[in-house]
Amino acid sequence: MQLCAEARAVAGSSCLIALCLCLLVVQGCRPARETLPALKLTHEVSPQPPRVGHVRVTLKLTDSSGKPITRAGLSIEGYMSHPGMKPIAASVAESEPGSYVSEIDLAMAGDWVFIVHIQLPGQVSVDRQFEIKGVLPA
Amino acid sequence: MFQPHRNSNPRNSFDLLRVPLVGTLLRQKHARTLLQIPLFLISIAMILHGLFGPQLAPQNLATTYTWLHFRGALVFVLLLAGNFFCLACPFMLVRNLARKFFHPVRNWPRRLRNKWFSLGLFVTMLFLYEWLDLWASPWWTAWLIVAYFAGALLIDSVFKHATFCKFVCPIGQFNFVAATASPLEVAVRDTAVCAGCSTKDCIRGVREPATPLVSIQRGCELALFQPRKVGNVDCTFCLDCVQACPHDNVGIISRVPAAELTIDPMRSGLGIFSRRKDLAALVIVFTFGALLNAFGMVSPVYALENWVARVSGVEREFPVLAFIFGLFLVAEPLLLIGVAAWLTRIWGGTRKPMVAVAVRYSYVLAPLGFGIWLAHYGFHFLTGLYTIVPVTQAALGGQPHWGTPGLAPNVVQIFEFGFVFLGLLGSLLVSYSIAFAEKVDRPSRIFAVWAIVALIITAGALLLMSQPMEMRAVTLGVG
Repeated sequence: MQLCAEARAVAGSSCLIALCLCLLVVQGCRPARETLPALKLTHEVSPQPPRVGHVRVTLKLTDSSGKPITRAGLSIEGYMSHPGMKPIAASVAESEPGSYVSEIDLAMAGDWVFIVHIQLPGQVSVDRQFEIKGVLPA
Repeated sequence: MFQPHRNSNPRNSFDLLRVPLVGTLLRQKHARTLLQIPLFLISIAMILHGLFGPQLAPQNLATTYTWLHFRGALVFVLLLAGNFFCLACPFMLVRNLARKFFHPVRNWPRRLRNKWFSLGLFVTMLFLYEWLDLWASPWWTAWLIVAYFAGALLIDSVFKHATFCKFVCPIGQFNFVAATASPLEVAVRDTAVCAGCSTKDCIRGVREPATPLVSIQRGCELALFQPRKVGNVDCTFCLDCVQACPHDNVGIISRVPAAELTIDPMRSGLGIFSRRKDLAALVIVFTFGALLNAFGMVSPVYALENWVARVSGVEREFPVLAFIFGLFLVAEPLLLIGVAAWLTRIWGGTRKPMVAVAVRYSYVLAPLGFGIWLAHYGFHFLTGLYTIVPVTQAALGGQPHWGTPGLAPNVVQIFEFGFVFLGLLGSLLVSYSIAFAEKVDRPSRIFAVWAIVALIITAGALLLMSQPMEMRAVTLGVG
């Protein structure tokens, strides 16, 4: 009687663990969300180290051969790593061919994650992400 | 004098179960299930979004709901009412469903029938929160929720009664300690009625008259016998006792918050607090863990981590973090409480052994610890309150409308300080009551000693909350 009850309990728990593993496998087998065009985005932040307040982010956009991509439409959204903060949005302007500049006001110290929305001329838009870690208090 | 609620005529107290609508709802047989279902559905949504949704914490339901709204709502409900989150616990919904198929016959091992194991899990949870940066990881947060469901199901499928709630669940232990400061408790309305009761259904449950082996209503699964139950520790507000009592003599009754800490009777299902080293340790970790958790959010933690890494030559985060945990959760409490217990003996004139003094007076810290948790969680909750709207909109496939995220941080900081002071006031009153209730020569000196301990912790909390907050994952060598 006791063994039977335990066997059922263990069987039930095993089913749950199997379900969890399935979830893990399903998640691992997800297809990539998008086929990304071959482009490279690098960023520089000044001043260094970044502090709360005004920072300048310079983005360099190149294709797979290293050739600057010009006349792309870029915009930036910034998020703190912790939930509960409103994201910041900033516009980006092309300062020289393939080089884009954004002036951003960082409202809080900590880690920031930025999503760059890139509208390539004549192509679909793609997103790229970069982080500014360890922004110091003002 | 600060006295517990036990008066001769409890019917004069406020009783939530007698309030129209709310009371009627809570007294329904399936009230708990009704409250659990929405939280269960939300939990499933959080798991799915955490695993498959955007992996940016502020955009994800798992991280936003868990680390902002759930935690915040939890502490406010504990402050204003009682342990209603355990009542609506979604993990127990799944477990109760499973119990329809599994009928465990084993008892939880005797040597584990205390708080040591759950205390270890509570510390592990605090550690994982910092080490894995859980607040910033939807994926880990989702797996944490899955782990809770699996843990509740596994433990309660093998072991009888509410083993998971009483001996395992770290959230439950947090709620039990915090609920000592709550204004409501599940308690008998009239002790005279219990004195004349012969069935004891509140603990035994109700059996089918024709087939006594068949239970038609559970009694308290946490071994809390209502007539001898004191306070909120170990009470999940499941209301099984309310359903089981044939005399309708159990209510959700008002009382003086934290007053249960001032007395030291034999408590049903718990024993005597002053002999429970495990419970005292839980209160200590609850209190100093509140400081540690808040410390993890401000600038000095990074300076300390980098200093430890530099001095020790260790660059991996795990041992550095373990050192800081040891500092906050072992060294600091040992020093503060050890010195206070020693002073209580030599200066206050008590003849009790030092450990006994330390155990008895550790409970003094519970209100202050709760005040610090309330301040910390309340800050995130209030400053990010409205982010629930755009995050939900985005999760449902709509366009998120990011407006003001919540109340202004400088306004919320006033509340933060207020909560800490409220906790301090509670701890001062509890220490005063305990000191003056003991048969000692100089109770005022004992009160002074423990008041200083509370003031030191308060000063630490206020100092932390005055620091500019930094929300970042730990990266040794940065900053």
